[in-house]
Amino acid sequence: MIRRQDAGWWLLILPAFLLMTAFYVAPIAQVLAISFTEPTPGLGNYERLFTSDSVQRVIITTLRICLITTALSLLLGYVLSYRIALSSPSAQRWWILAVLVPLWISVLVRAFAWVTLLRRQGLVNETLMATGVITEPLALVWNEFGIIVGMVHYMVPYAVLPMLASMREIDPRLLAAARGLGASRFTIFGRIFLPLSLPGLLAAGLLVFIFSLGFYITPALLGGGRTLMVAEWIGLQILDLLRWGLGTMMATMLVVAILTTLAVFARVVDLRRIFGGGA
Amino acid sequence: MMTHQPGPFARISAGVVALYLLLPISIIIPVSMTDQRFLSLPKEALSLQHYATVLTSPEWLASIWQSFLIAIAATAIAVIAGTLCAIGCWRLSRRSTDLIRALMLLPIIIPSIVYAIGLYRYFAGLDLLDRFMGVALAHGVTGIPYVVITVSTALAAFDPRLEQAARGMGASLMQTLRWVILPRITPGILSGGIFAFIHSWDELVIVLFIASRDVFTLPRRIWDGINENLDPAMAAVAVLLVVFTTGLLLLDLMLRRRRAE
Amino acid sequence: MSGATGHALAIERLSKRYGSFTAVADVSLAVGQGEFLTLLGPSGSGKTTILMCIAGFVAPSEGAIRLDGRDITALPPERRDFGMVFQGYALFPHMTVAENVAFPLRVRKLGAAEREAKVRAALDLVQLSAFGDRLPRQLSGGQQQRVALARALVFEPALLLLDEPLSALDKKLRAELQDELKALHRRIGRTFVNVTHDQEEALSLSDRVAILNHGKLIQQGAPAELYERPATRFVADFLGKSNFLHGTVREVFAGGFAIGAGSTRVVTAAADSPPLGSQVLLSLRPEKMALLAEGETAENSVTGIIESWSYLGAGYALNVAVPDFGTLRITLSTWNAPIAPREGLALRLGWSAAASVPVLDDAP
Repeated sequence: MIRRQDAGWWLLILPAFLLMTAFYVAPIAQVLAISFTEPTPGLGNYERLFTSDSVQRVIITTLRICLITTALSLLLGYVLSYRIALSSPSAQRWWILAVLVPLWISVLVRAFAWVTLLRRQGLVNETLMATGVITEPLALVWNEFGIIVGMVHYMVPYAVLPMLASMREIDPRLLAAARGLGASRFTIFGRIFLPLSLPGLLAAGLLVFIFSLGFYITPALLGGGRTLMVAEWIGLQILDLLRWGLGTMMATMLVVAILTTLAVFARVVDLRRIFGGGA
Repeated sequence: MMTHQPGPFARISAGVVALYLLLPISIIIPVSMTDQRFLSLPKEALSLQHYATVLTSPEWLASIWQSFLIAIAATAIAVIAGTLCAIGCWRLSRRSTDLIRALMLLPIIIPSIVYAIGLYRYFAGLDLLDRFMGVALAHGVTGIPYVVITVSTALAAFDPRLEQAARGMGASLMQTLRWVILPRITPGILSGGIFAFIHSWDELVIVLFIASRDVFTLPRRIWDGINENLDPAMAAVAVLLVVFTTGLLLLDLMLRRRRAE
Repeated sequence: MSGATGHALAIERLSKRYGSFTAVADVSLAVGQGEFLTLLGPSGSGKTTILMCIAGFVAPSEGAIRLDGRDITALPPERRDFGMVFQGYALFPHMTVAENVAFPLRVRKLGAAEREAKVRAALDLVQLSAFGDRLPRQLSGGQQQRVALARALVFEPALLLLDEPLSALDKKLRAELQDELKALHRRIGRTFVNVTHDQEEALSLSDRVAILNHGKLIQQGAPAELYERPATRFVADFLGKSNFLHGTVREVFAGGFAIGAGSTRVVTAAADSPPLGSQVLLSLRPEKMALLAEGETAENSVTGIIESWSYLGAGYALNVAVPDFGTLRITLSTWNAPIAPREGLALRLGWSAAASVPVLDDAP
């Protein structure tokens, strides 16, 4: 029930609500419904989850890459956040800039930079060959290795932000006090810092994992069409093979997987930590 | 020694991670100034010829201009809808508005590929495929979450009694918005606008599906460039993009610092 | 535009519930023209909720609010024409003092010249004419409070609502501004409704005080009436300090009765007396007892021993253990005090029948 005094405030919400339902939710709902109607009505497309090798292969590849990416991003991100959280406020500003700039640089530019570095005639291979470390160029890109290097590079900043936020809530006096009580650096980290930063670690893991699941550009550019992840596979079904039913089935599974993961983790992770004051 | 300092292991490994983040992005700067005709480090001299190629190419310039206009239109949509929505949710603040806020966040949770194939089909029916309006609308709607988040953050620091005070003194809702609420959250709105702008300016996945010839944005041209011919001009474009984005970010940081004061 | 005299406000059977929690329960109050009414109570007593209902920010669950007889319960706050001083003042931090004060005039679309004249007059009223160009954060707490007052009065509101207007200030400044606020009320003759948890402030400022607890109106009346004749234990305890004497009614006579507790008998004046044998509670203010000299008599007297004492500057506070009533608190002026207090000192306390008041025992 809307009280008369509140009507004006509800009107403020209206434009965004209409835009979001008419031009976001409606197109998605409509296209996902296709998975039940094309080529024939029913659950035929979903049967392919159990019968088709290619469908199963792309799901397994995606999960494998996402898990590896999440683990590596958390590790690297944690190291970075730890360093930032213990820096002086003025140094922190520079460190944070070093995290934010890559976060907002176009994903295309970053993929391009990695291609420049990692391809056969790229800077890494040329340097290694010129110094005589290797004689044949290494296959560093257009394979799963390249995808992971690029994806981790993309995800580390996303991992840092929630972890840093939770590390900053740790009272520095606790660490000083532990030190004063004679704890070693290792003990302080293991007994105090790590447990207190765990909420941020979980939040970061959740964020990186769900972002990785539907990743398109980096795997497409650095995978070179040989290693397919779900998003690129969906694009391929729809743009090149015109198999709308199969493509939208996979898209539905992707959305379901992400929303389920969020719902499950919402019990242990404060989603506000990830999505600002909004969630 | 009062503060706890990171140990040598933490210092070194954090340095390595920072290099991993920044080095690949910086490497494109010397590459873009190569004197060679292929993607490599400069051999004998630094050269700006590849920048000249880009900045005199009608195709690149057209794409840059088009991307810019789309980003402006998308930012306008996202800022207006997102700001009003965040204010409404903040003021009403109940279970139903929490759900609305969650709805507004969907575009950053659901992968673009899902939205892109949805729009591909939906826009065909509305005759919005390969149209400026279509892309601006899609980017605008997906930019709303950035504005909702930054404006909600700004509102969290806003004293709700100021709104009450204004209403109590006879101000209408519009007067309260214009004279009391909006001036106080301007930095948050600008931040949101900057992020919505960068979002549209960099967006590729949606464009790949709903635009083909008439709308050919900058990311779309870079995508083709990476897939077809890896030449140093691409590096020059990449550097220009990095400079542009970093500039916007620094602007945002400045705004935040002023807000903090 | 309202006239120079204030308006009358009536609150009729007001209730406000939040789910199963009752913030205000069936409160009726009338505020006369030009009266200064204070709603006094501890936190959670519902006083602020009542003020917010009057201002229109909170919609009552039941009951009505009338201004000069007109029902305004459903009117939104911006159409009520009430001035309000918020807790913490709620000055707009991005506007200068003059812009803050001009705000209510701006929303009423007054012309620039008229606006300027009224702002100047309002700032004069609170002696801040020289500060018009400052930002609120450049002012002291007391000055901010006065800006909030000027802003609430500049549009000549029908009613001025004050929500803990002095609570953010330190004690000395609070006393100063109390005097100013009182003088302002006399000068402009408007109706003021004030909310506070500070009993001293309520007593010194108000024409009438309404005491609230747990959402209920406990007692209302002039400050002296409330202090001298509290109706309940809560009122006696919340307004100033009080001793409480428990006993059984033993005798009833014209204009009073006597209670007994153990071997002690206490007489008290009362308009109507409770039945013989009933349990009653008397409130006895610490300053209404005196030390009795050798051979001196009083209507009531007890002997006791000083348990502890403290020096308060203007007076001493003694805690005296007496038989049958536990510990009584008594205050003495330090000037010309008849004794030099020390622990263990035996003394005799006396008070008249009129000094104590029977009160309803509403203690939880």
